[in-house]
Amino acid sequence: MAVNWEILDIVGGDQALTSMFLFWGLMLLTYFLMQNGLSIFNDVTKSMSLFMLEKALGPGIDLVEGREGSASKTWFIQGMLWLIAASTLAFEGLWLKQDPTALHSLSAWGYDPTASSLLYASNFAALYGGVGMLLVGSSLHIIPRLSGTDLASERNATLVSFLWTLAVVILVIAAHDSVILGLNIFLIGTAMHTLGFVAIAINLLLTVSERKVALPIPGWLIMMGVLADPISVVATVLTGSIQTGTGQWLLAQMVGGTFFFATAAGVALYVSSSASGNPLWSRSLGAATLVGALATVNPLGASNGRMAADMLGVTFEQLQPSSQDGIAMAFLMALAMIPVMALVANLMMTLRGGDAFIENPDSAGIPELNLGASMLLPLAAACLFVQSDALSAAPELSGMSATMLLMAIWLVLVPFSLGAALHLFPTVTGRSLLSRNRARWAYWMMGGGALLGLTVSVMSDLIDMSLIEAAVEDPSALSADVQAVGAILFYGTAVGAIMHSLNAVSGLFRGTMEDADRATSSSITMDDYSLVTPTSVRKILAGGADLDTTVVPVGESDDAGGPTEL
Amino acid sequence: MSEGGSGTVGEFIQGEDEPSSSWVILAFGLVTSLALLVLHGILYPGRDLPVISEILPVFEGVFDSGIWFFILGVMIGVFAIIATMMTEATSE
Repeated sequence: MAVNWEILDIVGGDQALTSMFLFWGLMLLTYFLMQNGLSIFNDVTKSMSLFMLEKALGPGIDLVEGREGSASKTWFIQGMLWLIAASTLAFEGLWLKQDPTALHSLSAWGYDPTASSLLYASNFAALYGGVGMLLVGSSLHIIPRLSGTDLASERNATLVSFLWTLAVVILVIAAHDSVILGLNIFLIGTAMHTLGFVAIAINLLLTVSERKVALPIPGWLIMMGVLADPISVVATVLTGSIQTGTGQWLLAQMVGGTFFFATAAGVALYVSSSASGNPLWSRSLGAATLVGALATVNPLGASNGRMAADMLGVTFEQLQPSSQDGIAMAFLMALAMIPVMALVANLMMTLRGGDAFIENPDSAGIPELNLGASMLLPLAAACLFVQSDALSAAPELSGMSATMLLMAIWLVLVPFSLGAALHLFPTVTGRSLLSRNRARWAYWMMGGGALLGLTVSVMSDLIDMSLIEAAVEDPSALSADVQAVGAILFYGTAVGAIMHSLNAVSGLFRGTMEDADRATSSSITMDDYSLVTPTSVRKILAGGADLDTTVVPVGESDDAGGPTEL
Repeated sequence: MSEGGSGTVGEFIQGEDEPSSSWVILAFGLVTSLALLVLHGILYPGRDLPVISEILPVFEGVFDSGIWFFILGVMIGVFAIIATMMTEATSE
């Protein structure tokens, strides 16, 4: 019996807009509940959730340690390893675009990859494996810091990382062949991923519920980004739009704009302040990023909803929006430039601070943050053109949309998430990376490889599009040659990912022991600053204070000390 | 002279520091190997290398694209990470 999901129809006959309205309503409700709690059900819900996170798992939970930082450490290492797999798959996909039979010998083992299947699998590995795991790892460290409390369940978060990795492995396999032994393994991977995602969301919610201080903007960005992912799925499923091409595309953009963009924005803003020692430049721009990420449609992403459709097990439909949907979506995507510009300005100015130089430009992770902030605005504008074109009746730029998605992943999301992880690594593990020099080399290999390789790939796409438009029957060898150069240049990304992982793994064992207090100082959480001796404003700001911090003079005297009189 | 005499230490000692010129020995060994291979081609022109010439045909049709060199590089990197994990975890 077919289930009719179209139980909601807020905007008459327009499922995409209805989904957006429902999404906004649910997000407002979420914010209200986070601020006000669940009234009399508060304590029961908290204790039940904590029970489900730990004791309900039985002896399984004892397999992992519950030391502070162990969860983030596990997520970081696995995320970095996933970046190796993702970059290798993307490299192979780019190579096979010009040499489709390069891997045909693997067909003897039953593995017959194509360029599109490899690039599709690399997107899962990069987004959910690399970026997703690094963002979750950072969030597990940042949210407790900003809340002034400990993570609700360190052990559950550690254990869930392995479930998440297993889910990504299944999704990567499903991207090649979704039906194995008659089963749609996409659904299995999605079910496992959802289970892990819910556990992480509950863990973070429990942590926030115990907060001692008001949650700053980066914290809200992370929380709303994490919670918006399942809520956007619920919104599109309830309205029935998930069965249409427009709804599937919209869901992909909503997840991309919330879990990936908003969470990455929150993590990047926190790290920009923590790494530079400068206060967050603008609270208003932070709020604009938060509201804009939720209220608009982020153009960074694929120009179809195949990922969303496959993960939810519905038939993939081509994007054919109605004129009303097309106008509304194009308008909301154009509005997304506001949060993008707000984030870029806030990041740049926070990193730079009051003077012309960043305090510690050589620190691992800072160059990655700079790269992500520099590439975000031009790529968002480029993706806006490609996505607006995809909404039209006769798209002309669809030939470069796959490469644009790769650029968004490897030049924005990966730098943000990896940069944050590299900066937080010493705080989380207690040891620094093995070599700062190797981290610098890895940055140049990774950033340079992605930028040059994908730019050359776009050139190849443009040649192909021109030839198709000119109705040339014989494909040009020039396009293939250019694509080969692009693939080889992109190989630097894989080498960079390996160098970063090796640096981190070696650092776990042989890295210099870190002073936790210095490394964790962040201007975001400091309320009071005790002024003992005369000092400069610069040192006060570098010590973690911001413009709202109260400077408290501590009295001193030169009298000799003595026992306290009782 | 007896082992327990005053002139012997009696224990195996492994140095912690690596001499900076030790890589020269490795490089010299590599160059010598290549030179011997070249010499084999000069002395016995047209004759295949023993053992190697019998193994290589097994991989014909497998590594017939340049992509395999790159994949080999990634595999070496991944094995380096695994080796690092194992050696670091098992060392004292």
